[in-house]
Amino acid sequence: MHQQLTNLSDKELISRARKQDREAEGVLMDRYSHLLVAITLPYLDKAPKPDPNIVLPTLLQRLSASLKTQTIYKANEWILHIQKGYFNNPDKNIPFYPSRDGRDLLHIENKVEKAGTNIIDRQDLAVRLEQALQRMTADDRDLITQFYIDNKSFADLTAAMGLTREKLRDQLKAAKGKLAKLYMNQGYV
Amino acid sequence: MFSSKPNNEKILKVFSGIRCLSKDQLPRYMEGRLTDIEKHLVEQHLADCDLCFGALQALEQEGNEQYQDLTGKLQRFIHDSIQPVSHVHKVAQYTKKEKTKESLLVYFWLIAFLVIGIASVYVLRGHLRNQPPPPPRTLVSAQPAAKDTATPPSGEVTNQPIVTSEQPAPAPGHQTAATPATTTPAAKPAATTANPPATAAPAPPRPTAADSIAKAKAAALKAQQKKHAADSIRKALALQKQQDSLKKEKEKGNDSDNKKPEPQPEPKQEIKEPAPQPKKEAPPAAEPINSDEYLYKAAMVYQQQGNLGEAIDRYKRIAANSSGKYAEMATYQLAICYRSKGQMGKARRLFREVIRMDGFLKNNAQQALDSM
Repeated sequence: MHQQLTNLSDKELISRARKQDREAEGVLMDRYSHLLVAITLPYLDKAPKPDPNIVLPTLLQRLSASLKTQTIYKANEWILHIQKGYFNNPDKNIPFYPSRDGRDLLHIENKVEKAGTNIIDRQDLAVRLEQALQRMTADDRDLITQFYIDNKSFADLTAAMGLTREKLRDQLKAAKGKLAKLYMNQGYV
Repeated sequence: MFSSKPNNEKILKVFSGIRCLSKDQLPRYMEGRLTDIEKHLVEQHLADCDLCFGALQALEQEGNEQYQDLTGKLQRFIHDSIQPVSHVHKVAQYTKKEKTKESLLVYFWLIAFLVIGIASVYVLRGHLRNQPPPPPRTLVSAQPAAKDTATPPSGEVTNQPIVTSEQPAPAPGHQTAATPATTTPAAKPAATTANPPATAAPAPPRPTAADSIAKAKAAALKAQQKKHAADSIRKALALQKQQDSLKKEKEKGNDSDNKKPEPQPEPKQEIKEPAPQPKKEAPPAAEPINSDEYLYKAAMVYQQQGNLGEAIDRYKRIAANSSGKYAEMATYQLAICYRSKGQMGKARRLFREVIRMDGFLKNNAQQALDSM
């Protein structure tokens, strides 16, 4: 049972956890536990120095509680939101809403996933994305082309462009957001 | 178009969803121990995922040891807290299901037995409700049968020869002429020796023996109707008169001779009209001897014949002397006599008296009073 659950997607696990399936909830938490620990590490060294034996279970409880009530599109964004909310303002429980840009990205990702092996759909999507890509600025278009299509790594790009990894990542993320926006607004042009 | 397809398809990678980094992928990426393709995929994901990128940065700052330690602890904690709970939950669910099943079965059988019990009681009651009618029917049918069997055979079987020998000739011809001849012999045996079987019920055989069937039928019908009431009464009258006369004889030795003829002619005249049949039936009625009854019946006869004055006299005597059933009946009949005479005030008073007596005629009296 446990083995089968580990093969399920986040979406499926979340829907099962909502139906009081504690095991699915456990698998989901297990899947993200190392990331939760990793992003919590910097807070454990800070001023009040909280006990990880208390903080992590509390975080899990919060996640478990919000899992049953909140709409979750992406598990990683949700976990990060809850974790940041807990450390920034432990008394307040801020519900998680995906941003507008996030929803655009999500929409396109779903479309790509849905197209799957359907050649016609994939062709259509590719043509429209190409059109959107052509309307981007030259810098953004180059960045995306190099990173995604030419398979250049962070290290290559930072060396070529003289940027830090964080900055490069921010630019890439921004460029991808712009592409998504252009794609979604194609009907209005 | 075809040549550009792979290039075109590659652009879809920008928006392909990639899972977050796994527990060991993170350190391996940090140490550069990933293949080119894997590294490229991780970097694609890192460009999107704030969580993974944050984790990577944190790990690079904090070091790997604490990460491994805490991750192992947390995963164990999750396993411990979730799996046993789920197992316990399953067991609880199973036992709960079994319990509800059992309790439902118990309820089912309880309800089933209750329903069966109620149904059986209902059916039984319905059965009992339907049963009572038969017994009354048998009783009702038995009583008349008993009467029929009791009266006719005694008369028919025993008396037929006697009656046919004596009376066939006079009956059709002149009833009035025949009566005086038969009355005296009939009255005498009744008075001296109560001998029912001999003279009991010659009435039925007579009409059958008679020639004219129409006359016989009419006579039989009338006679049968009057028989029960009048005929037996006449004999009672005779008895009573004899008793009276005996008393009078004892009391007044000489006067009895003068008074005797007076009462005797009266009954005889009255008896003459329905005579032929009644006289023969006198003896059976004589069996239960009760002066009140005889008086009452005699009065009834007078009343039926229209001799209200005589009837009222006798009724008054009964009402004054006797008590109980006959007093009440006499009072009631007295009231009816007065009513038929048109003396409504007296009738009302007597009806009220009957009601006051609170006997079995109370309802009748009340009805009569209401209808006046």
